[in-house]
Amino acid sequence: MSTKPVASSTTQLQRYHHRRGQGSGRIVSGVGVMIFMLLLGAYFLFPLLWLLVASTKSTTELFSTPMLGLAKEVHFWNNLRDLTLENNGLYWRWYLNSIVYSTAVASGATLISALAGYALAKYNFVFKQTAFMLVLISLLVPGAALSVPIFLLVRASGMVNTYFAVIVPLLISPFGVYFMNVYIGESMPTELINSGRVDGASEFQIFLRIAMPIIRPGLLTLFLIAFIGAWNNFFLPLLVVSDPNLLPLTLGINIWVSTISASTNKIPPYPFIMMGSLLSVLPMVVLFPVLRKQIAAGLITGGLKM
Amino acid sequence: MKRNRAVPYLMLSPFFLLYVVFFVYSLCYAFYLSLFASQAGETFFVGLQNYIQALHDKAFWSSIALVVAFALMQAVTILLVALVLALLLDSPAVKGKALFRLIYFLPYAVPGVIATIMWGFLYSPQLDPILKLVASLRGGKPVDLLNTRNLLYGILNIATWEWTGYNMTLYFAGLTALPLEIYDAAKIDGCSEIQTALRIKIPLLRSIIVFTSVLSMIGSLQLFNEPLLLGSLTTIPSSYTPNLYIYNMAFRFSNFHYSATLSFSLALITLAASLLFLFLTGVVRFRRPSPAMRSGSAP
Repeated sequence: MSTKPVASSTTQLQRYHHRRGQGSGRIVSGVGVMIFMLLLGAYFLFPLLWLLVASTKSTTELFSTPMLGLAKEVHFWNNLRDLTLENNGLYWRWYLNSIVYSTAVASGATLISALAGYALAKYNFVFKQTAFMLVLISLLVPGAALSVPIFLLVRASGMVNTYFAVIVPLLISPFGVYFMNVYIGESMPTELINSGRVDGASEFQIFLRIAMPIIRPGLLTLFLIAFIGAWNNFFLPLLVVSDPNLLPLTLGINIWVSTISASTNKIPPYPFIMMGSLLSVLPMVVLFPVLRKQIAAGLITGGLKM
Repeated sequence: MKRNRAVPYLMLSPFFLLYVVFFVYSLCYAFYLSLFASQAGETFFVGLQNYIQALHDKAFWSSIALVVAFALMQAVTILLVALVLALLLDSPAVKGKALFRLIYFLPYAVPGVIATIMWGFLYSPQLDPILKLVASLRGGKPVDLLNTRNLLYGILNIATWEWTGYNMTLYFAGLTALPLEIYDAAKIDGCSEIQTALRIKIPLLRSIIVFTSVLSMIGSLQLFNEPLLLGSLTTIPSSYTPNLYIYNMAFRFSNFHYSATLSFSLALITLAASLLFLFLTGVVRFRRPSPAMRSGSAP
């Protein structure tokens, strides 16, 4: 599970047998527990299943058919086509924006965090403890607490409605620095750095050519966590972009949702909301079985050391 | 060696440059703005007048009281459910563990905005058979999770749906890190499964439980996305949560100076809560340079 060996004398196989209950055979009312687990599983899957069904319905069917039952006619492809044609493909423009924002944020934050984490893990210097403290403090202050101050700053510098305003504030990732510090400390032998120095490599060459390949699994984990974080972000882009062509998916869909309360006679575009929401979660949900291990491994390394 | 001395500072500089701009300077700028007020198109210096107003602003303080209550309820709910799930997944009573771990963790990949939209629609009584069922149990009285009194529970459910699997993953990982010898010893002493869980597993997870709870409580103070989005489906007061109030103050009432005052106050309150936690528990520790690292031997 973990990216690094956990300090214990237990092997994977022993743990497997422990969880299989071999030997003891004592089962805490197995059936009741399984029903409980299945019910909770249904709870976690239910909204996503509903969204999938809802995306196949027209507006009237949405309110006239049972919530998990399909309508007589399946309008999935119609809804998809309408969504694609809406406003010259504005939805896909948002999709592209989300991909650009998330990729830029995840790549930048991963690199910046890796550099900082490497410095904290592998060097001794005068302000090291101070730097630790500053990272810790920012780790405990959620981004949302700073969103409005950052917006006021962005507004004063005339950067509202730019890619810059969405991406750059998110490049600072205290969790990333903390995580890379722990990860590099655990997985990167200092003697490799020393042998690099003996070979005459500069410190940055050592970081790029020796450290980066070794910590690649950790970099991937952080990239995924940062990517999901940026993809899901809402508050900061809500403040700093209003140009429809620059919105990320979460904000674009919100525009449609906000028409529900608007006091106009137009019917809110329910099929767009359903289909748009479905497509925005689809890649992540489909890839999740593959990504889960990598993400969990990272959370474990970062989380357990706290 | 002289050249090396600058290297760690250079490596830290991109992070701390952004830190200074977006953490320190943005807060300073918000404070600067909060010292002014606008009236009839003119801006003038008012000193700490805005803070005196905030101190007496009932809407602001009741929004803080609401998120504090929410933070406590959310921490307890998620903690309990996640812990029970992690313990069950670590026991022999459950089959198909890998699949359950995947399903429970899945909502982590769903944006909070989408989760809120889905649940928001599911809460609307004309759509939801579960709410109808509950209503028939209560003698036909419909349950409206979107009315102002129940709204907080509706949001609590969304947060539980989103974050339980995340916390469960952390707890499960903590259980995986415990050596099995502990359980053998417990078995010899005649501990049942449940006793082992209560007396051994939970105490050993203590630090990670404290940490995740407090982090989720600090995060809850910032509650914003859910009430903002649900505001499209129902009526929500403009000062429901502190961040919603700050947002509306800037964007609906165009009072940037008072908005800056409130957001600076909220950031200070959050910072104070975080530091209090940091010093009270001492749970969070950075990896100090270990002797093994300094002598250059790898783990």
